[in-house]
Amino acid sequence: MRPAAPARHPSAAASSSSSTNSQQEPRPENPLLLLPSSRAGKLSLGCPVLDRLLSGGLPPASVTEIAGESASGKTQLCLQLALLAPLSPLSASCLFLHSDLPFPLRRLRGLAPKSRPDLLDHVLVAAAHSPSDLISLLSRAQRLLAHPGRLPPVRLILVDSIASLFRADFDASPADLKRRSALFFRISAKLKELAHRHRCVVVVTNQVVDVVEGEAGNTVAWSSGRRVSPALGIAWANCVNTRLFLTRDADGRGCARRRMNVAFAPHLPERACEFVIRRDGVFGVEPSGR
Amino acid sequence: MEIADLPIATSHRANLLAAGYSSLAALSAASPPRLARDLSIEVHEAEEILKVAVGANKSKGADGPSTSSVLKGAQNAWDMLSDEQSRRHINTGSADLNNILGGGIHCKEVTEIGGVPGVGKTQLGIQLAINVQIPVEYGGLGGKAVYIDTEGSFMVERVYQIAEGCISDILEYFPHCHDKAPAGQEKLKPESFLADIYYFRICSYTEQIAVINYLEKFLGEHKDVRIVIIDSVTFHFRQDFDDMALRTRVLSGLSLKLMKLSKAYNLAVVLLNQVTTKFTEGSFQLTLALGDSWSHSCTNRLILYWNGNERYGYLDKSPSLPVASAPYAVTIKGVRDAVNSNSKRVRVM
Repeated sequence: MRPAAPARHPSAAASSSSSTNSQQEPRPENPLLLLPSSRAGKLSLGCPVLDRLLSGGLPPASVTEIAGESASGKTQLCLQLALLAPLSPLSASCLFLHSDLPFPLRRLRGLAPKSRPDLLDHVLVAAAHSPSDLISLLSRAQRLLAHPGRLPPVRLILVDSIASLFRADFDASPADLKRRSALFFRISAKLKELAHRHRCVVVVTNQVVDVVEGEAGNTVAWSSGRRVSPALGIAWANCVNTRLFLTRDADGRGCARRRMNVAFAPHLPERACEFVIRRDGVFGVEPSGR
Repeated sequence: MEIADLPIATSHRANLLAAGYSSLAALSAASPPRLARDLSIEVHEAEEILKVAVGANKSKGADGPSTSSVLKGAQNAWDMLSDEQSRRHINTGSADLNNILGGGIHCKEVTEIGGVPGVGKTQLGIQLAINVQIPVEYGGLGGKAVYIDTEGSFMVERVYQIAEGCISDILEYFPHCHDKAPAGQEKLKPESFLADIYYFRICSYTEQIAVINYLEKFLGEHKDVRIVIIDSVTFHFRQDFDDMALRTRVLSGLSLKLMKLSKAYNLAVVLLNQVTTKFTEGSFQLTLALGDSWSHSCTNRLILYWNGNERYGYLDKSPSLPVASAPYAVTIKGVRDAVNSNSKRVRVM
């Protein structure tokens, strides 16, 4: 991946184009033939209301970000997805890369149905403590995704959370910000490549920061009475395909109203839906039911 | 004299235009076997056509020294102007945006479209890939599209939705056409719109460079492509490049190549770009990515931005049009005029 590569590769591509070996030559795909698999490959959230918000679930071959303040339900959703993946039509395993310690194992067990303790076998957990940790984990995951062995194939990658990887080691100086955003793009490119090659659903959670006056361009929303944006700035916003923003507003009686907002998505309009977190998981609330 | 006036069989004339031979100069530069292959006719027929074309070129040269005899393939400014005026543009879906762009996205030009995440770059890209296919009898170009996806945001179900929206609008604007034109009706299916997009998904900058190099061959084999969209040109160039000078050289090489292709095959090139924060004089400002020298690489530059809750397009750079901005909206059908824009809403596409 050193900058010498661009000079070498095009000539390789040019020489292969004259030969009959079509492996090297880029081949266009026909979108019409991709349509059924993109519809069937969606991962349900296990709740018809939330699935309707996302028109069927989380899309494959694409990176979805779930942003929200602490205790907004990000990790809950991830755990729920991890347990749903083997039960869904994809019948897939899940790779759970976490940076917030410790891994919420008890909650995961609590969510798993008593009749199916084997579901936990399909959740592969690894900890990442720095951006470079995550990158090397993803490179190793590549082998796992290609040769799953006895397990059902991995079709879901969860990263919880991306922001905490970048909490340390970076100043607000321009040089450090540049180094940081180059890492964002490397991680994102890796995630997207895995997502594309193996038709994985990729979910990345993100924290929020208070909005500083004058910082434009990023998603802004009100949550718990604060004006917040997803962390890591606009550079990271360029790295995800779909952004879901979980917000909360307290109504004074002690129970918070939670909302899941589609901040942007290539296939969805901006819209929102209320949800609740119960003992057995995250569920959407019908708007008419209120 | 134009292709349309050549004294040859009508079917040949139509085939010539469909194959991308838009001017006599382009035609007379072709060799008989190549022309025969492009039109799928016999070589001797192609020789006939070329003879007629050369004759027409000569007779044009009689009333004034034609540059094409001095410099092969050269055109004078008058020919270029009339050529440009007769050319159709690719509808963006929003009449207001078309207005500031001088009718739409222009063929033979490179247009850069930039904006923050979620403002609608990809939506506009998909819309153009669909709108370029509007059949000629409905005021479109009837061409095909190449979509190079570097970010994975090309969602097929959304493409299908936009194609449906486009078709329903066509039928609304041309109500009389769809009972009397069964042949045209046959074509208006979202499925065929999807099938006429050549979709490349690429995962690294080496692949991006390889695809753009390969385009030359690909477009030579697919003369009916009228637009090439790269969504986005930026993504893979924002990692792993320590040597910014090298990055600039690689990128300007790419844009030069794309500019040549757009001229040679009479097609529009649309490059989507991301937004970054630039650190100048102690403060951070939003600007399009890839730096200052990149901004010289594209002929036109359209910036999409939020103004409150409304989306706006701002024509930042164009060789022939004034700087202007206009609102637009992204609806379930695709890119359309903003609902409360002041200009007339009902306008023929």
